Amino acid sequence: MRFSIYRFNPDVDKKPYMQNYDIALEDSDQMLLDALIRIKDLDDSLSLRKSCREGVCGSDSMNINGKNGLACITKLSDLDEPVVLRPMPGLPVIRDLVVDMTQFFEHYNSVKPYLINNDEPPETERLQSPEDRAKLDGLYECILCGACTTSCPSFWWNPETFVGPAGLLQAYRFIVDSRDQATEERLENLEAPDRLYRCHNIMNCVDVCPKKLNPSLAIAKIKDLKIKEASHAKTTGMFEKMVSKKQISIKRLND
Amino acid sequence: MVIELLTKRYPGMRAWLMQRLTALVMAIYSVMALGRILLEQPSDYEAWLSFSQPWWWRVASLLFWISLSIHAWLGIRDVFKDYVPNASVRGLLLKLLVVMLWVYLAWATWLFLAYAGSADLVLR
Repeated sequence: MRFSIYRFNPDVDKKPYMQNYDIALEDSDQMLLDALIRIKDLDDSLSLRKSCREGVCGSDSMNINGKNGLACITKLSDLDEPVVLRPMPGLPVIRDLVVDMTQFFEHYNSVKPYLINNDEPPETERLQSPEDRAKLDGLYECILCGACTTSCPSFWWNPETFVGPAGLLQAYRFIVDSRDQATEERLENLEAPDRLYRCHNIMNCVDVCPKKLNPSLAIAKIKDLKIKEASHAKTTGMFEKMVSKKQISIKRLND
Repeated sequence: MVIELLTKRYPGMRAWLMQRLTALVMAIYSVMALGRILLEQPSDYEAWLSFSQPWWWRVASLLFWISLSIHAWLGIRDVFKDYVPNASVRGLLLKLLVVMLWVYLAWATWLFLAYAGSADLVLR
C-alpha cells in the first residue's frame, strides 16, 4: 500500500516535504495505525504520537487524506491510495506528524474544565437526577484529540482568541452540569467578541469528530443560554434598582 | 428586552444578536415583497412606481436597507478579520466599507423618503 507522509525535522530540514512509502501489509494490519507502526519499523526517523490504539487517548490524531481523524480507528480498507498523511493543520509542527498542542490546551484550561462547587463536600459523591446526568451525554466523551479545533477555519484565523470547538464543548459540559455552581461566571468568561462568537457554524468539527460528538450544537446552546442569562440579569438588575429606590423613599418618609 | 442586550456590556453578544435581528427584518421584508409582487404583479414602470409609493412600504424598505447595512458591516468585518491579516490593509478596507455603506444608505434614504414621494411629479 502506498503512503505519502509529511516529513519535517526542524533540526535538519529547511522546509517540509512529502515522503512516499510503499509497504507490504499483513492480514493483521487493519487500521491506519498498524500501517504506520510498520512504516516506523522500516524508517524509525518518522515521528508520530500514539498510545491506547483504540480511540480513547486521542494521541494519534492527524490529517488523513485531507480530513482530521484518529489513525487507530481509521480502517485501511476505507482509504484511497496514496494515503496522504499530514499533521493536524493550524498548530505548529514539532516534527513530522507531531504538533505542538500548547495553544489548544491553553484554550481548554481557560474554560475551567472542572467542577466548581463551593458547598461542603458530601461523604459520598455529589448526586444528580438521571435527567440531569443525561444532559452530559455527548459532552463528557470528548478525548481532547484536537481533530475538531484544528479543522475549524475560525480557529485557523484566530488561534489566540477563539476558544475552539473542543474548549467550548467542555465549557458547555460544565455549564449544564447540575452540580456546578459557576454557570454565570462561565458564561461571562465567554463574552469577549472572539472567544465564543467567532464560531460561524461551519461544522467541520462535527464532520471530523472521531467520537461523533457535536460541538456546534453545544456552542449554539451556550449562545442561547447567554441570552437567557443576560435577560435574567437585566430583569434582576431592574428589580433591585426598583427595590433600592423604594427603600430610599421609605427611609425619607420615616425621616 | 432584546434591545437592552445590545449594549456595551455584552460586546460579543451584541454583534451576534444584531446580525440575527437584522437578518430577521430582511427576511420579513423579503417575504412581504415577494407576496406583494405575486399579488399585484406590477408589469410596467408606472405599476412599479405605484408599488413603491405607499408610505409604509417606503418606511419598510428603508428599514430593510438599514438592516442590510448593519448586517453587511458585521459580516464583512468578520471576513476581513479572518482573511486580511495585514492590519493596515484591513483598516483601509474597513474604512472603504464604511464609506460605501454610508453612501448607499444615504442614497437609499433619499430614494425611499424624498424621491419616491414625489416620483409621480418627476414623471410628469
